Amino acid sequence: MAQIIVQNVTKAYQVGAQTINAVSSVSLSVERGDFISIVGHSGSGKTTLLSLIGGITNPSSGSISFEDRDISSLTSDQLSEYRNEKIGFMFQFASLLPLLTVRENLLLPTLFSKGEPSREEPSSKAIDLIRMVGLADKIEAYPSQLSGGQQRRVAIARAFMNRPDVILADEPTGDLDEDTERDMMNFFLLMNRDAGITFIMVTHNSDLAKRSHRVIRMQQGSILGQ
Amino acid sequence: MSDQFTLNSMALRNLRRRPLRTAILIAALTLMVSALVFALSFVMRVNASIRLTSERLGADLLIVPTGSRGSAEDILVENRATSFYMDRSLVDRVRKIEGVDKVSYQTYLVTLTGLCCSVPSSMVVAFDQDSDFVVTPWLKEKLGRRLKKGEAIVGSESAFNINLGLVEVDAMLFGSVFRMVGVLDKTGTGLDTAVFISDENIDDILKNGKMTIKAGQVSVIFARIKKGEDLYKVMSDIENSIIEVDVVMRRDVNKGLISTLGDISKIFYLTLILSTALSLFLVWAIFTAIANERTREVGIMRALGAKEKDVINVFLVEVLVLGVIGSIIGIMAGTALSLVMAKTFSILKNLPVDLTVLTRVGIGAAGLAFGTGVCALGALFPVQRLKKLEPLFVIKQE
Ligand SMILES: Nc1ncnc2c1ncn2[C@@H]1O[C@H](COP(=O)(O)OP(=O)(O)OP(=O)(O)O)[C@@H](O)[C@H]1O
Ligand SMILES: [Mg+2]
Repeated sequence: MAQIIVQNVTKAYQVGAQTINAVSSVSLSVERGDFISIVGHSGSGKTTLLSLIGGITNPSSGSISFEDRDISSLTSDQLSEYRNEKIGFMFQFASLLPLLTVRENLLLPTLFSKGEPSREEPSSKAIDLIRMVGLADKIEAYPSQLSGGQQRRVAIARAFMNRPDVILADEPTGDLDEDTERDMMNFFLLMNRDAGITFIMVTHNSDLAKRSHRVIRMQQGSILGQ
Repeated sequence: MSDQFTLNSMALRNLRRRPLRTAILIAALTLMVSALVFALSFVMRVNASIRLTSERLGADLLIVPTGSRGSAEDILVENRATSFYMDRSLVDRVRKIEGVDKVSYQTYLVTLTGLCCSVPSSMVVAFDQDSDFVVTPWLKEKLGRRLKKGEAIVGSESAFNINLGLVEVDAMLFGSVFRMVGVLDKTGTGLDTAVFISDENIDDILKNGKMTIKAGQVSVIFARIKKGEDLYKVMSDIENSIIEVDVVMRRDVNKGLISTLGDISKIFYLTLILSTALSLFLVWAIFTAIANERTREVGIMRALGAKEKDVINVFLVEVLVLGVIGSIIGIMAGTALSLVMAKTFSILKNLPVDLTVLTRVGIGAAGLAFGTGVCALGALFPVQRLKKLEPLFVIKQE
């Protein structure tokens, strides 16, 4: 059984009298431990598709299931739990909270987890992760004190905080230099192989795409070849 | 600090993010709560005092010589020394009126500063100890015996004026020395500045020739009517059958004062309503701005797994902290104001009742509940709107 099944999903936006299908009749099946790259022109619906899978927006039609559960049937709270426990997001846009330090930004997802989180464990996990993305010396810095690429890496580290089953990464290496980009990709592949985390990653870099298990091309809301 | 990162600490940091805005909100809440505390303190104190002043008389009807109605009120409400007299035989005539239960009487002997007495200008009231139900119930400590000739009890203010405070001090009245043997509780009327003596002393005072009254005269007759009797009927019976007197109803004694205080209370309530409206509007406007400002942050938090209630929680802590700080400062300011006003407002100065600590605590609690309540209410709509937004929509906003 596939981990994620996207079935004939359409996401339509009403702009004035016009209906725009950001995602149009997309079907996709993702196995546990997959590493999928999504490529496509700007505006082809990549971010929208990731958002649908991640449960931060609802499909207009079709269904998305995660481990046999239809996520569009979940209540608001259940959906929050789903995002918190199963999904690690790396957003296309800056997504750190400016008022929180790097360490606190990393701890943020753990605040929403069920049950009393033991204070010790998340904190040491945050330190491990921030070291893995090469920012150990910035752990008490505020986002405004970091470069764009450094902020990006903090967001990458944060996505792993709650041991997600799936990472949804939207151009995660967009503003990184080549060396750092390669380091991050190696880190992803390591997490994919060793921790069995499923990756769905939007990228414009064809070299990166090549290193994934599977490449999906999107055009005008649809997956090419469907 | 490093190991205590929680949603609450986020809320507190949010408050520090815009200190000026936070200060404005707290100031508005302070204003409102202090207005509430002050108005409540004032109104409760005035109401309790009016009730007490009215009960104080212990009599349902005051009977004075025809035309002296105003003078009687002068004495009872303010401390304006006046004198008016009627014949003591009227006491028995009043007692015989159908429906009258008890009757007592007093004679007002006006003193003038320096002229006759070592007491500052005040009323000397001679009362009949046998029938009295007006004066002695107010003794701070029961005397346990009758006043002897040459003994006096004093109103609370007189006691203060003569710098007595306690008993057993002598004062010169009408050429005789009086020993002060008791002090009355504060009544909030002219009687607080009076000196009370038994009417057995009148003969001596007359003999000394320091007074102009004749023997057998009284100033005011107090009547208590039988239970279930119609007050108005008894009143008009007295007025109709004894043309020499006017009758004043107890509840009318304070009429002017009550309506003045009523008007003042209205002004306070109006101030309270305006400041509440102002606070509500400010909280609403500022939290609308806050909500707009943090839309993206809330979207990110939601995407990371924050539930709607987590979002509300963060804002609720902010709102409560604001509300509690504003209320506490407001309670202190309002209480301080009411204490200062009690000393400077002449109306308040003469009120017999002061608020108990318990009442003040109650008023404080009401202020706290009101302040935080208004704050929460004002923030409710902006925050409700925020939690419902779709995370993706919110995240993409710049
Ligand atoms: N809220 C919205 N209202 C209307 N149209 C929208 C909305 N969000 C997205 N779209 C449209 O949906 C289409 C897909 O958007 P999406 O953000 O998924 O593109 P993308 O592939 O991620 O592009 P990029 O590579 O530039 O990030 C675009 O044409 C966009 O204009
Ligand atoms: Mg995109």
